[in-house]
Amino acid sequence: MPSSFDASGRSTQTQSGVENNDPNRVGETPPPQMFGMELPLLDPSNDTMSYGGAKFDIGNNAVVRERFEKFLSQTPDNTEQSRVYRKNIEAILKYTQKYTKGANRIGSKALVSIGMGLYEASSYPGDGGQAGALASAIVSALDVQRANRRRDEANAELDQEIDKLIKKTNTLTNRNTQKGVRSDKHAAGAGTSGGVSHTFQIAANTSKIAEKKTKQGANEAASQASLPIAKVNYQSVLVGFLLQRRYDHAVIGARVYRHVFRDGNTRVDLDKNSDAYKMFTGISGMPPTITTIDTMASNARREVDQSIDAVHGALAQNKLGEATNRLITAVAVGEYMQSVATFPAKDRLRIADYWNLRKQSLSALNARDYDKVEEIAQEMKKMDVAFDDSLLMSYTAGKKRQSDFALRAARKALAEGKDEEFKKHATEAAIIWPRNPNLQKGEEEIARLDSFEPQKAEFRVLYDRKDFRTIYKERERFKVVATDPQLEKKYMESIELIARIDAMLAELKSVALQDRTMGPCAAYEKLYEMKADERYSTDMKFLDEFHRYESEANNFVMALRDAEDCRSRREYGSALAGYYRARCFYPHSKLAKKGIEEVTKVIVEATY
Amino acid sequence: MARSSRRGRGKKKNSTQLIMGGLCLLVVLLAGMLFFKPSARSGTEPQPFNIAQYRQDGSRFASTGNRYILEGKVESIESHGGNRMVSVSMRNNRNERLPLLVLEMNPQPINITRGDTFIFDVSCRTGRSADGNEVKGILVVNEVKAK
Repeated sequence: MPSSFDASGRSTQTQSGVENNDPNRVGETPPPQMFGMELPLLDPSNDTMSYGGAKFDIGNNAVVRERFEKFLSQTPDNTEQSRVYRKNIEAILKYTQKYTKGANRIGSKALVSIGMGLYEASSYPGDGGQAGALASAIVSALDVQRANRRRDEANAELDQEIDKLIKKTNTLTNRNTQKGVRSDKHAAGAGTSGGVSHTFQIAANTSKIAEKKTKQGANEAASQASLPIAKVNYQSVLVGFLLQRRYDHAVIGARVYRHVFRDGNTRVDLDKNSDAYKMFTGISGMPPTITTIDTMASNARREVDQSIDAVHGALAQNKLGEATNRLITAVAVGEYMQSVATFPAKDRLRIADYWNLRKQSLSALNARDYDKVEEIAQEMKKMDVAFDDSLLMSYTAGKKRQSDFALRAARKALAEGKDEEFKKHATEAAIIWPRNPNLQKGEEEIARLDSFEPQKAEFRVLYDRKDFRTIYKERERFKVVATDPQLEKKYMESIELIARIDAMLAELKSVALQDRTMGPCAAYEKLYEMKADERYSTDMKFLDEFHRYESEANNFVMALRDAEDCRSRREYGSALAGYYRARCFYPHSKLAKKGIEEVTKVIVEATY
Repeated sequence: MARSSRRGRGKKKNSTQLIMGGLCLLVVLLAGMLFFKPSARSGTEPQPFNIAQYRQDGSRFASTGNRYILEGKVESIESHGGNRMVSVSMRNNRNERLPLLVLEMNPQPINITRGDTFIFDVSCRTGRSADGNEVKGILVVNEVKAK
């Protein structure tokens, strides 16, 4: 059973919706959030999104559901302001597009124009200030670049000044050297004042040269330090766009990057232990670059647009289930994309209706209301021509049957008077299917069984009195006692006994009517034999018939009785004569035959 | 006068008593004759036989030891050891069968066969069973003649 239809109420997912299938991840704290700081990676083959090595079923995730429902309840973003915003963004995208091919470079003016456009776009509330952030990043990077250029120019001027000073110093040094030669020739009178003055000037120039070189070094250090900071600042903004699913901004920023930083180094500097770094390397296996960001954002945009196209196609074919799944994907991946934000209201309503049914079916499953589930499934089938209800139907049918089986076991236990077993099975049936209509029937049946107690008591009295005839006559009324297995046995015994007696009496009546001489004898003899059984002899109808045949077969009966009487008095000769006489009336008499055999044996074995 | 009348009344009373006593004696004698009519005759002479009476109380026939001549058709024969039990139907009463015992120790000159009519000379006896109980009113065949 898929987790989305887990009626037990237990989800195979953790609270965050992250499946914890990886044994190595047991006990690991799930990521705190899903959207905003990380990129959802969609696997369209099974509608799952990957995050941090775990997978989300986007159709069965509380966060996705919540955002999707929010999306469905919103009106399409078709205001004039939004149109202007999207037009601006689209224009910037197109503008940057032409510089992605070839060696065309965007000049500072163009970059300023892009920045201005972004600042304008950021005034739209739906943008959330993201365009402004990008514009600021671009401006900051440009400022750094300008500052570096100024420092480069300053260093160039310093170079020129240093060169001049060196040249000047060299000249003075040469003069000092020439003066030294002359002074050797005119040692006494010439004096030393000119030589002293050159020496001080040379020292001053040397000092100035050192100062300027120090300035140059400071400028170079400042340039080298500011550039990486500017890059990190810019790259962090781009990664942020990607993670927040602001793909348009990410694409614009990535395309502008190489025109802002022209050193050719597009590697993104991320901490190797960060989730973002793992995400990038997890996709390509390569260190992240600006091009990777561009590719990922572009692919996501295409994916979302294709999903929305698929939604429209599915809706046109009344395949609401497929449309819903595709729309969930589109919303989860690219909530801020234009195609998603402007998704038509009437289509949202159609999908919202279907989505609500799907939610209701899940609620009904969790509540184990299987009738409701089937009802919803039928409704969904009406709405969605491609809806496959076999999973739901077979699941509910199985559960219903399981509940009924438990209920049947409960009934059996009740009938057998096993209260504990009855409670166990009845509870089981109620847990499996709380709204099982047979549960109500079971309660009614218990109440009905309780109401049968007077009949049961009456039945017991009649049975103890062996008044089976009354039980038989009122068998419909006493049928209820069959709910008690012991009484049922007695009931059936009573009914079968009387039915057997009546059938036999009817047969004997027929025999007696066919032969009015021997028929009554045969009937009497048959009833006489059965009369020994108390169950028969206590039945009034049996007795009435017995006495009737006794009267009709009077001669035969009297002969037998006389014979028995004589036998009891050891008048064996008379007894045998009596048995013979009885046999004359009814030659097939078993009683007479038996009497004859027994008495004859006594007579012939005696001594005389 | 009074004494003579008293004496007269006493004589009259005595004679009446004598007459009454005589009548009683006569009644008793008649009753006895009627009751013991079969045995009133000679024990060796055959007597008429009442089956209905026999069925009620056969031993009464045995107590006198009378002999009876019966004509009957043999309906069945059952042998037990050497003794045979023969049931015969009387000519004038087809709803009766009379059981006759032919003892082994009293062989008959003729063969008793089923379906034939014979004249039986019988006497009513009381036998003893193996456990010593009486077996009353059994008609034992003395002699059989073919008719």
